[in-house]
Amino acid sequence: MNCERIAELLPDYLQGSLAREQSSQVKQHCEGCASCAQDIVMWKKLALLPDEQPSAESRARFEAMLQAFPATTSERIASPQTTSPQNVSGSAKRVTRFGFFDWLRSPVGAVAWSAALVILGVVIGTRVNTSAPPSTPAHSEELSAMRAELTNMRQMVALSMLQQQSASERLQGVSWSGREDRLDPQIQAALLRTLHSDNSVDVRLAALDALSRHATAQPQVRKGVNDALLEQQSPLVQVALIDQLTEWRDPDAAQRLRNLQQTPNLNPAVRQRAEWAISKLQ
Amino acid sequence: MQKRPFLNEDHRMKSVPDEDVMLQVRNGEVEMLGVLFDRYQAPLFNFYAKMTQDRGVSEDLVQEVFLRILRYRQTYRPGTAFRTWMYQIARNTRIDQVRKVRPETTLASEPAAASLSDSAQQQQEAAMLQRALMHLPEDKREILVLSRFQELKYDEIARLLGCEVGAVKVRVYRALQQLREIYLQLESGPIPTDLHRAPRDSLPPIVPPSRRVQ
Repeated sequence: MNCERIAELLPDYLQGSLAREQSSQVKQHCEGCASCAQDIVMWKKLALLPDEQPSAESRARFEAMLQAFPATTSERIASPQTTSPQNVSGSAKRVTRFGFFDWLRSPVGAVAWSAALVILGVVIGTRVNTSAPPSTPAHSEELSAMRAELTNMRQMVALSMLQQQSASERLQGVSWSGREDRLDPQIQAALLRTLHSDNSVDVRLAALDALSRHATAQPQVRKGVNDALLEQQSPLVQVALIDQLTEWRDPDAAQRLRNLQQTPNLNPAVRQRAEWAISKLQ
Repeated sequence: MQKRPFLNEDHRMKSVPDEDVMLQVRNGEVEMLGVLFDRYQAPLFNFYAKMTQDRGVSEDLVQEVFLRILRYRQTYRPGTAFRTWMYQIARNTRIDQVRKVRPETTLASEPAAASLSDSAQQQQEAAMLQRALMHLPEDKREILVLSRFQELKYDEIARLLGCEVGAVKVRVYRALQQLREIYLQLESGPIPTDLHRAPRDSLPPIVPPSRRVQ
């Protein structure tokens, strides 16, 4: 067998898809032909190249993209002149509709429906109950009890939403939680947990935002946020936390930032931001 | 961090074929794309890292591929092998990226992280192989990476490139021979950059628009 014939068989030989007989013909030829043998050596040598692995950030980026995706497409629907292919807007509509009904079908949807029904009940109740004048103590007591019930219901919805699989539902949960004037301890704990360990960067950032609004009135919130600094892996969240710490000007902020700078493999942008923050705090 | 998995690939999904998952994505369950991402982000990253020797660019390209899959999910036809379709998108994404970047920048970019091989000699050889691979014209490098590292069979590559299986085998053989030549030259001394730099027009042929998946 000559080299030309071997050249035809070699690719299949290399991928191990030759029949045994032809395979041994190739081997036999290569024993006497250095050139063809070198091709095989080269192919095998390629195994030395390492299997490159993506960084841990890769999935977080993907999730952020996935969350942003329906939002982007609905923006396109809002401005039809910017979208030319008709199939894009068609599929986008489908996505939006799907998202809406899916939400209603989910347990969160069920809780939200119950909340809506309670609100409806309260409204009808107050309208129908005209026998008592609006300013009687009994009436205002009743009203405040109802308000408390509503707050509880809202908290329940928020807590349940923070547990959802879908990051966009958790985002909604965060925004519901932040609406109260004062954070209920349970909600506060849930938001801190979200800030520490939610696997979506967007949800963590939203939680930080919601928590920071309550930090002045509730110092324990501030402590929880401070503690999150060293645990974060995402540069986006790290930078947001550094900015928050700089804004609060806590006495131990500079020390925490120095500790952060000690972290090995810290993103250069984060390191730079931390340096800037330390200089501002001094 | 991984307390609550976000549609990660888990044991229940293991047995579901790519094509079924992709059809679910196509039918609106876009979050199912997470399953395909978990299956293919590493192979795709490896493909791009071998092609570009740039980790940052490779990660961006992987993200771009999944964004395109999502954006063009309606063009996925039932019965099409998902992997082939995905690599078609991956190739086009790469072609668009090369068009945007000047060739000088591509070659001057930082090499990917060094391997943790057993010995210094192996490391040296791996570095030289990587350099040799980068000296190959883009289309030859691509066909070698696809057949050697991405575990794509020749018929799959043929469908991907839109040519006959026989043509793929010939191209693999020629690419391997050229790689061997470059490697030998590198062993005997550095190659003048201009001589072996992949010329700009050595990109793989652009698939005509009618057949092209974005």
